[in-house]
Amino acid sequence: MRRTSKGDPSGATGPYPLLAADRRLASDRDLKGLILKHYLGAYKAKGLLGRKPVAWVTSGAPVEILLALDILPVYPENYGALIGSRKAAVAYCEEAERAGYSQDLCSYARTNIGSMLTGRGELGGRPLPRPDLLVAAKNICGVVVKWWEVTARHFGCPLFIVDTPFAADGLTPAQVAYVRGQLEELIVFASRAIHRPPPSREAFEGRLLGVLELTRQATALWQDIQVLRQASPTPASALDMFTNLFPIVTLRGSALCVEYYRKVRAELAERVGQGLGAVDGERFRLIWDNIAIWYDFDLVRYLHARGAAFVGETYTDAWGVYQYRPEDAADPLEAMARLYSQVLLNVGLEVRKERLFRMVRAQHAHGVVFHSCRSCKTYSLGQYELSRAVRNELGLPTLVIEADMTDSRAFSAGPTKTRLDAFLELLAAGSTPASPNLA
Amino acid sequence: MTESDHRASLARLVAASGDPLAASRDPLAAGGAGVSAGTGPASASSPPAARSGRRPVVGYVCSYVPEEIILAAGCHPLRLGARAGPTGPVDSCLQSFACSFARGLLDGLLSGQGRGLGGVVFAHTCDSLRAALESWKARKPAGSFTHFLNLPACVEGPGAAEYTASEFGRLAEALPAVEGARPVTAQALTEAAELMTVLRRELSRLDVLRSDRPDLLKGSQLLAIARGAATLDREEATDLVRGVADGLMGPATAAGPAARPRRPRILVSGGFLETEEPLRLVEEAGADVVGDDLCLAGRALAFSGAGHGAGRERSPAADVPALLSALSQAYLSRVPCPTKHPPSRRLESLLAEVKSRQVDGVIFLLQKFCDPHAFDYPAFREALEASGRPCLSLEIERGGLPAGQAGTRVEAFLERLRFVGPSADGGGGPP
Repeated sequence: MRRTSKGDPSGATGPYPLLAADRRLASDRDLKGLILKHYLGAYKAKGLLGRKPVAWVTSGAPVEILLALDILPVYPENYGALIGSRKAAVAYCEEAERAGYSQDLCSYARTNIGSMLTGRGELGGRPLPRPDLLVAAKNICGVVVKWWEVTARHFGCPLFIVDTPFAADGLTPAQVAYVRGQLEELIVFASRAIHRPPPSREAFEGRLLGVLELTRQATALWQDIQVLRQASPTPASALDMFTNLFPIVTLRGSALCVEYYRKVRAELAERVGQGLGAVDGERFRLIWDNIAIWYDFDLVRYLHARGAAFVGETYTDAWGVYQYRPEDAADPLEAMARLYSQVLLNVGLEVRKERLFRMVRAQHAHGVVFHSCRSCKTYSLGQYELSRAVRNELGLPTLVIEADMTDSRAFSAGPTKTRLDAFLELLAAGSTPASPNLA
Repeated sequence: MTESDHRASLARLVAASGDPLAASRDPLAAGGAGVSAGTGPASASSPPAARSGRRPVVGYVCSYVPEEIILAAGCHPLRLGARAGPTGPVDSCLQSFACSFARGLLDGLLSGQGRGLGGVVFAHTCDSLRAALESWKARKPAGSFTHFLNLPACVEGPGAAEYTASEFGRLAEALPAVEGARPVTAQALTEAAELMTVLRRELSRLDVLRSDRPDLLKGSQLLAIARGAATLDREEATDLVRGVADGLMGPATAAGPAARPRRPRILVSGGFLETEEPLRLVEEAGADVVGDDLCLAGRALAFSGAGHGAGRERSPAADVPALLSALSQAYLSRVPCPTKHPPSRRLESLLAEVKSRQVDGVIFLLQKFCDPHAFDYPAFREALEASGRPCLSLEIERGGLPAGQAGTRVEAFLERLRFVGPSADGGGGPP
């Protein structure tokens, strides 16, 4: 499937080449259906005949517990990304700002608060379905704790915070015990919130293990997909992966998620077999760090058109962390406590550096693009150190671009493309695809 | 104590607050530094200063770091702030959208301002300070002591107290690695807790006084005193604060209500302030700062009960874990910082304070790029305004306000207060 690029809307660097540069996956079509089904399911759950309780959760919430209690999770962050990709976030952000929320706050939060306060949204004009309970895990940032507090005040809804201590370079037994204890409590809290008695331990653990197995399978497939991208040319670039992230984030722990990634893996394996790349004439292999710039995928296409493909993203790779082992069945809550405490945004810079270097080497990358995302402090702060480390220790070029994931007011396409041009020149003058300059 | 004695005590505390690092290095020398609160020249002869000796100075970053443990380890705790002036090395470490306090703090450490420190203790507070810690770890001088107190964000809920106690225990175990420090014993911890209990009690007397008699003690002065007390040797600070309180309480008791006309009564809310300039600006505009919800003053004193934790555990049998457990309970039961969950206790405390202190209006001093305060602000403003207290928010960066603009806004705000009728609970009202 070929797709022609549109002209550069900024006009700063002239039109894109007329020929297609990126080749999207056929599974994209299924993905759209999945997204629709997920959100329709949430609206139905809260409709006239709806009987299923809905929880608003953060992307790092231990959602398997809720699924095992038959609670439908909805992800405001994903909703923020969806609104951002429709280039509609600014209006919602401005609503939140009018209510007193600073423009310096996370734009996912402002987008959702704006939608919540106005009762408007981007799915048939509706906001997200009203929650029965709220669960936020601090493992991705402190911001979600505050954002969820705002949400709880607005809806008068019960809120549970999963307080994951910072796992700088590991976890102490007391830290694991602290998180595990909270997960035990979450089962009781969520049951109460939906007016049901807490389940018996045996019955609940049986259901939980089933859900965790589905998470494990999806995670394994997701990792396989990342490994397939090591091929040259890479069969999937950032555009595919940013959109394909949806199921592992929002459908984690479901059979649908596993089924979908089987298809994606098969398609990528087929491409690899055929030597078909996501980008025509792949010359440079890059890593992306941070959340996508949802309102400007043209920026990635701009690179594609110049032979630069993204072969890995720390953002998408981060979802490969949920690797449950058979022995975890003995104490699944402890396993969850460990894994959910060591997600990418809850570990120290040294660990992040190790993971980044591992990815650079495994994916045979030639350079790293850091999206310095104004909204996301946990992700962005530290990038200067990482960028220096990539340059000094791996000898690879890096680029830091300033933007925001959904608030387009914080982004200037023209100057960014000028910087991308300079970066491409640096790549052309330095390492070659055949001999990446790896330390 | 004579009036000149308490003035000298006040001057010494205020002077120490102006240059904490110098004061912590050489407590006796700090007395002669510039006095910024209009309290007259400082005395350089405060004998209690000599008690501090030459203990290693441990800088710390957050008011949830228990000074009691640092003291019990034979160290001198020093509250660190942001570096003033143009930014330096931090620009190559943290983006401009990191909280301005975190940037200024890291800038100070990287600029060598803390060269005399025996170590630094960070604590879990917010995303920006966590990033500052990580940058500091990557760049700190080899072998220098840095400890991260990995505190919970939830001050209530399952396991929070036990977990906090375990983190306090890790700090107690780590501190002896500071050169010149000693192992933490139950006796040392008990003594330290008692000392801090007394110091906070003395500071609380002044806190009450600045509300009852702002003509005798300004809010800006109380903040300077609190900073001075977080800088000087704690025994000396306790004596000095007591001296100030005793000296001022005499006239306050004798003279009855202030003779001067009532001025608008303001409560300020915000984070850590490096200087009392923002409060002074409010006072110079014609208002009294009679209460605060600030990191260094109001919230730092807002321990429930007088015991403050470990000081209550005076049984000879109390061992270090029992004392740390009591200390953790005390810290978790404080009026929480906005980085802590749940936020309701802070709002309830604010609403109670504005009522009991007869506050007319609230000024939020929002640190640039501080997420926790900014998220709380709209709901807190709404609740305070519903209670009849108009609110104003000012953005501060590295302790300062944009002088001209902020002054005009404060004056306009005070003008507005003069036209607001008394609140329903009889608290606020026109001066």
